[in-house]
Amino acid sequence: MSSTTPVPGDPFDITTRSNGLRRRRIVERLFGALAILSALAAVGILALVLGTVVAKGLDALNWDLFTKSRPLFGQEGGIADALIGSIIIVGMCMAMAIPFAVLVAIYMSEYASPRIATFLRLVLDILNGIPAIIVGIFVFGLLVVGHGQSAVYGAFALAILMLPMVARATQEVLDIVPRSQREASLALGVTKWRTTWNIILPSAIGGILTGVVIAVARVAGETAPLLFTSSIAANAVSFDVSHALPTLPVAIFAFSESPDPGEQAMGWAAALVLIAFVLVMNVLAKIFAGRKQRQLEGG
Amino acid sequence: MKKSLAAALALVALVVATVLATGATAAPTRSQAGTLTGAGATFPFPLISKWIPEVGKAYDINITYSPVGSGGGISAITARTVDFGASDAPLSSSQLDACKGCVVIPWALSATSVPYNIPGINGRLRLTGPLLAQIYMGEISNWNDQRLRAINPGRNLPDLKITPVFRSDGSGTTYNFTEYLSSVSRPWNDKVGFNTSVSFPTGVGARGSAGVAGVVRNTPGALTYVDVAYSLANKFSFATMRNSAGKYTTPGLRGIQAALSQLPNKVTSLSQLKIVNPPRSAGPLAYPIVTFTYVIVPTQSNKAADLRRFIYWAVTQGQKFGPPLLFQPLPKTVQAFAYREIKKIQGGT
Amino acid sequence: MTTVTQDPAAPGPSLESRGIRLGDVLFRGVAIVAAAAATALLGLIAYKVIEQAWPAIEHFGLSFVWTEAWNPVEDQYGALTFIYGTVVTSVIALLLATPISIAIALFLTEIAPRRIASPIATLVELLAAIPSVVLGLWGILVFGPWVAENLEPWLEKWLGFIPLFGGTFYQAGMLPAALVLTIMIVPITSAICRELFSRTPRDLTDGALALGSTRWEAIRGVMFAYAAPGIAAAVLLGLGRAFGEAIAVAQVIGGSDHINVSLFAPADTLGARIASQYQGATSPLQQGSLLYLGAILMVISLVTNVCAQLIVRRFEKQRRAV
Repeated sequence: MSSTTPVPGDPFDITTRSNGLRRRRIVERLFGALAILSALAAVGILALVLGTVVAKGLDALNWDLFTKSRPLFGQEGGIADALIGSIIIVGMCMAMAIPFAVLVAIYMSEYASPRIATFLRLVLDILNGIPAIIVGIFVFGLLVVGHGQSAVYGAFALAILMLPMVARATQEVLDIVPRSQREASLALGVTKWRTTWNIILPSAIGGILTGVVIAVARVAGETAPLLFTSSIAANAVSFDVSHALPTLPVAIFAFSESPDPGEQAMGWAAALVLIAFVLVMNVLAKIFAGRKQRQLEGG
Repeated sequence: MKKSLAAALALVALVVATVLATGATAAPTRSQAGTLTGAGATFPFPLISKWIPEVGKAYDINITYSPVGSGGGISAITARTVDFGASDAPLSSSQLDACKGCVVIPWALSATSVPYNIPGINGRLRLTGPLLAQIYMGEISNWNDQRLRAINPGRNLPDLKITPVFRSDGSGTTYNFTEYLSSVSRPWNDKVGFNTSVSFPTGVGARGSAGVAGVVRNTPGALTYVDVAYSLANKFSFATMRNSAGKYTTPGLRGIQAALSQLPNKVTSLSQLKIVNPPRSAGPLAYPIVTFTYVIVPTQSNKAADLRRFIYWAVTQGQKFGPPLLFQPLPKTVQAFAYREIKKIQGGT
Repeated sequence: MTTVTQDPAAPGPSLESRGIRLGDVLFRGVAIVAAAAATALLGLIAYKVIEQAWPAIEHFGLSFVWTEAWNPVEDQYGALTFIYGTVVTSVIALLLATPISIAIALFLTEIAPRRIASPIATLVELLAAIPSVVLGLWGILVFGPWVAENLEPWLEKWLGFIPLFGGTFYQAGMLPAALVLTIMIVPITSAICRELFSRTPRDLTDGALALGSTRWEAIRGVMFAYAAPGIAAAVLLGLGRAFGEAIAVAQVIGGSDHINVSLFAPADTLGARIASQYQGATSPLQQGSLLYLGAILMVISLVTNVCAQLIVRRFEKQRRAV
């Protein structure tokens, strides 16, 4: 057929005889099967983890859980105090981190020179990668030593974790807003800060909310920073943020190491509550992301 | 679009509000009466748990206690992040210095049991200190080892690997246990020594008395050292230990009582409260791994009055809650010592 | 010379222009402060950790890093056991997670029809969101016992001649910890890989297919080559995550002070050791040593992270050039 000599083993040589083609087809099928199998197996295992938590958590759910506090030795109890403590601390964390993060993102997107913006992006990405336990040690050394634990310090530690996530998400969304919007607004005589505040931010709100919600979901489950800042707390519901408050992750940590089947059951139930919260946050994130998408498309 | 967003947010807000309301109204909240925060040993936690509601009723003091381990208690009170600390291990002189004016008061007394999980074996096995040291050094690694069978004739010890479990956090129970091993086993004393935290040659670590109990419960072949109240609560089988009189004794009230034989008539310092591995003169019932457990309080505190009330109650009326949990009530000499120390807590209202 | 006539009916320029400048200046000032504070935070964290570790750094010097000891009785400390544990658990997790993540990403982008891909992708995202303490709970109560009763005996049966797979079976040890880390990393890495694969320019793969290569050859030859730096970055990011994980590892690793060849035996990592001992450190030197471990961890994760970021940035540049 041709004057070219078939090069043995060359996968791109279409002139080889069917032997080579057969081998290639077999390899193709093999790897295809391997990919499918390992993917399904992995996903199966992951689903197993989720399923176990949900099943054991559901098993342990009862009304007591939400009306009683962490039990003393040999008693019954619940997670009411930990749940409320978590809500309070995460709420404070959001109040601390979100304004700060949005401001940093605005600076990066609206005011900073490209080089500074790149530098800040790197700073934020590095902050994002700092292990949570290091943040815990940091806040411990900075604030807790000499003053005692408190919910505020715990919220501060979580805010440090939340900051880079929200800042980066906000900055990326701000960057997507078309230049034309800014230019039009400035041309009309609107001040720069009003432009940013009243025009740019609102159009980015979908993306910002997405970032916030994902960050909250992540931060609500963090244990290490709270171990150092809010772990010695009363066995009762308390709203006193100047002292340590019990929290869900720390409670789960304690329950997980307990020999008492009752406490282990509470651990599963608390884990289920935490996962349910994370699930809701992720669904919200999808809703906000959809909204952002529609807004961008709608102009 | 906007509606679904608003609806989602409203739903989340509603759920959060419901949770806050339910918890706040249904669960008992802390009143603004006197509050005392403490942290420390897991060893006395069963007894302290009984004290907390009683003291609340008697004096309207809200007490919080976090069982983080003796090491954690010493650190916390030294840093004054709590009002009182608790430890089963006495403070070393450098720790006392670091604490800057702390007084250490014995407030409970119990034994360290050696529970195990051997499927098929019910009831008590016999162990000796030197053998226990060898197990924790990895020299005896199977339950059917000849040396264990020799002291347990007639027991069908299975071919099962021994998993020694130890406390990975700073623990007064570790202090008690390793002090015992150091006094009965020269190799242990030379190689490992005793402290609230030591470098265990082998085995698995877990946090807190609850943690080690948990590992034993889940692991066939596991063995650990833990306050006898935890063994009881988890229905573990625990070992009878050979004492200096050559008898195998249990960590019950009589065993603990007999171990106090060396106490002087008047206790003037903490060093006289060393009761581990009592000599032969203590008698056949003495259990060798017994320890006092202490509360650590600053002499200058603005919660001084509440602290004095609490600790005084604990060493007098509180003691009657002890026996069901195998805490032996404090002997009178130790109570007298405690009263003298309590008086040193001054300051504030 | 032109004279500027002012219209008396127009609003006074001085007031309004002053207002504009003030608002803008304030806003910009606040934003600058925020950005500077974020940068300062990073520096402060590094400073504080090293400051708290300094007594131990001074006392032990650099030899701390290769000393295998943790003896509070004699106040002798060294980081080798924990560096070993950190590296081994993370590397095993990475060796397992990378091919699995790539397989999942390929499956979702190339093989699965849209209807199956979507729920599976959601499932994997959800798993990325499971808090580590919950994974640790599952690890202690469900997975650890299973590993000790089923996996370890099986491994010893087939691979027992390798010292890695010999020895007593424990429920807590290097192996369960490495496997828990794998489960943690897979969702993250597979999400990144999935993004990478779906963004590969179609025409490159189409070209390869047109030349007669099979689908697998096109993937291997084109997609992987194109996405290689991205995959490397994903791997490094996963590694950084594995290094820093303290809680879940602390729950299942067994807290040993010594290096043990067997993967079944208890071990400890930098983060897990800090988490379990920090509250109860008995002497200032022990406390300082724990923080020295923290400083080492911080350095390791910073280096890994920065490498990942640099690769990503170079990859972005490359991609835009294509």
